[in-house]
Amino acid sequence: MSAFKILIVDDEELIVRLLSMSLRSDGYQTVTAFSGEQGLEVFKAESPDIVVTDIKMPGMDGLELLKRIKAIDSEKEVIIVTGHGDIDSTITALQYGASDFINKPVRDAALAIALERAKSKIAIRKKLEEYTTRLEIKIAEATEEIRRKSNFQRLLITSSNDAIVAFDSDWKVVVYNPEAARVFGDPAKDVRNKMNIDELYTPAIAKVFKNQVKDQKSQRNFPWKEQVIYTKDGRQIPVRYAGNVLFENNEFVGTVNFFQDLTEIKRLEKELVQSERLAAVGQTVSGLAHYVKNILIGLKGGSYIVDVGIQKNNTEKLKSGWETIKKNIKRIGDLTQDLLTYSKQREPEMEACSPHDIINELVELLKGFAASKNIILSKDLDKSVDQVMADPKTIHHALLNIINNAMDACVEDEDVSKKHEVKILTHIDKNNMICFEITDNGCGMDEDTRKKLFTPMFSSKGGKGTGLGLLVTGKLIEEHRGTIEIETSPGIGSIFRVRLPYEKVKPVDGN
Amino acid sequence: MSKKVLVVDDDPDVRSFVVTVLEENQYIPLIAQDGVEGLEKIEKEKPDLVILDVLMPRGSGIRLYHHLKTNDQFKKLPIIMFTGIALRSFLKSQKVLDEFKGAEVPKPDIYLEKPVDPEVLATAVRKKLG
Repeated sequence: MSAFKILIVDDEELIVRLLSMSLRSDGYQTVTAFSGEQGLEVFKAESPDIVVTDIKMPGMDGLELLKRIKAIDSEKEVIIVTGHGDIDSTITALQYGASDFINKPVRDAALAIALERAKSKIAIRKKLEEYTTRLEIKIAEATEEIRRKSNFQRLLITSSNDAIVAFDSDWKVVVYNPEAARVFGDPAKDVRNKMNIDELYTPAIAKVFKNQVKDQKSQRNFPWKEQVIYTKDGRQIPVRYAGNVLFENNEFVGTVNFFQDLTEIKRLEKELVQSERLAAVGQTVSGLAHYVKNILIGLKGGSYIVDVGIQKNNTEKLKSGWETIKKNIKRIGDLTQDLLTYSKQREPEMEACSPHDIINELVELLKGFAASKNIILSKDLDKSVDQVMADPKTIHHALLNIINNAMDACVEDEDVSKKHEVKILTHIDKNNMICFEITDNGCGMDEDTRKKLFTPMFSSKGGKGTGLGLLVTGKLIEEHRGTIEIETSPGIGSIFRVRLPYEKVKPVDGN
Repeated sequence: MSKKVLVVDDDPDVRSFVVTVLEENQYIPLIAQDGVEGLEKIEKEKPDLVILDVLMPRGSGIRLYHHLKTNDQFKKLPIIMFTGIALRSFLKSQKVLDEFKGAEVPKPDIYLEKPVDPEVLATAVRKKLG
């Protein structure tokens, strides 16, 4: 810091010069004046840090100068030089705010002490000033921060898509955001700090939140609830709501509730259900139409051949056309049966039957077709399987469908070098279920096909499948308290496992 | 001399229907159950026209169509597509696009969607063979 500047004022020039010299040699900067008037002018011009002035001067005396200086800058350090015993002046000077006194004649030591005191006062004041300034800045910053934060929170609450309503400990509304006004229909000016919970909410909702405060468990964990609320202006709004109980230092200070308007979500959900239903119906109908069209192709073709046979009296044609017609009539019959089975709940008709007899029957029925397609149809049956209580129709239908699919998968297989085989296996598993396992080494299925297996009217066989086969099979097995499991790999083949409860036939008394 | 027409279809009902239509119109019918057998018959019997189903096991209908359309030897052999799917679906079917590997799928000379009246089929055949 640069040297202190001291103004020395005395009507005795010699004293001024001596003091000035002495202070300069102590490292101070000095300016001088020889009267009160001159002193004031120099003060104004030079703005010294400390003023040392004689009290008794002609014209403006030291006291007057002190007064004027203090009027300009009340914190300026002014040291008064007084004669001995001049108590009155000294008291007056003190009243005017002089900072120190030294007696005449001025001794260097006394002046030095007075100057040191003045300097440290200046230093303290400066520090205080700095501190005050810093404090002021800090307070300004903190205030701004608080303002910003509170503004942000206000914005947060105002702009929330949820309706937010908060109550103080007396259940008076203290927070009520625009969304709340929209949902409840009352403008904020009529609600905030005016209504209580019973005036704003329906009794049912008010009760829920009042109870929440009483119950420790729901204070901590309040699951979202759904309800339809009726607004004052007569609207019905489905809402989802939740709330929190507010505590400060373990003291109940209020509650905050959140409401979400579900109108749009409910509408979309409805739309989605509707469009999914339409899509499912569309898929079902188009799958069905496709299959029926195939039957129609057969019937038309067959009847044309019959016509030709009649015209030409050609028995061969008649036979072949009639076969085609009969085959397609059967397809309609099967389709109708499948549709009925699929659409109706059916209880299995349990009776004593032999699963192996059914399998043997099926193999007998299908071996001709298998041979024509170069497929080996084999079986490996567990001899311990006995007569069971089961619905033979379910077993027959399920196995026929799966074996047919297995053979179709062989026919469809790109790899003609394979020796195609469909194998039927039975065994009793550890859960006392009878397991039918149908394995083929045909084309297998990709993930997409695998997923759609039980979708109504989904067929991977073009128009040649109804898209009902596995669906009906799955349903029959389910009704029989059984399960169906599929393992498949594209190009390798598939395994279908059907498990049904293994209930041995109880020996009848007397037999 | 009567012209030879090959029917490639995996459905026996369809085969006997088309065969009857052909016989009634004084053509010589030949039959094949799938695309592979179809190609053998084409090479051996040299038919004047092929009536081809699209959806047959192992994708062989599409493959045969591709083979006939991209092979110089068979390019001129007229083909009547005779199938259960609409032409639009055929041209956009993923299997068909895959077979042609991005190249433009040539439109069949005549595309008939089943079921078809015998007269319509006969007319289509006559149109190609006279």
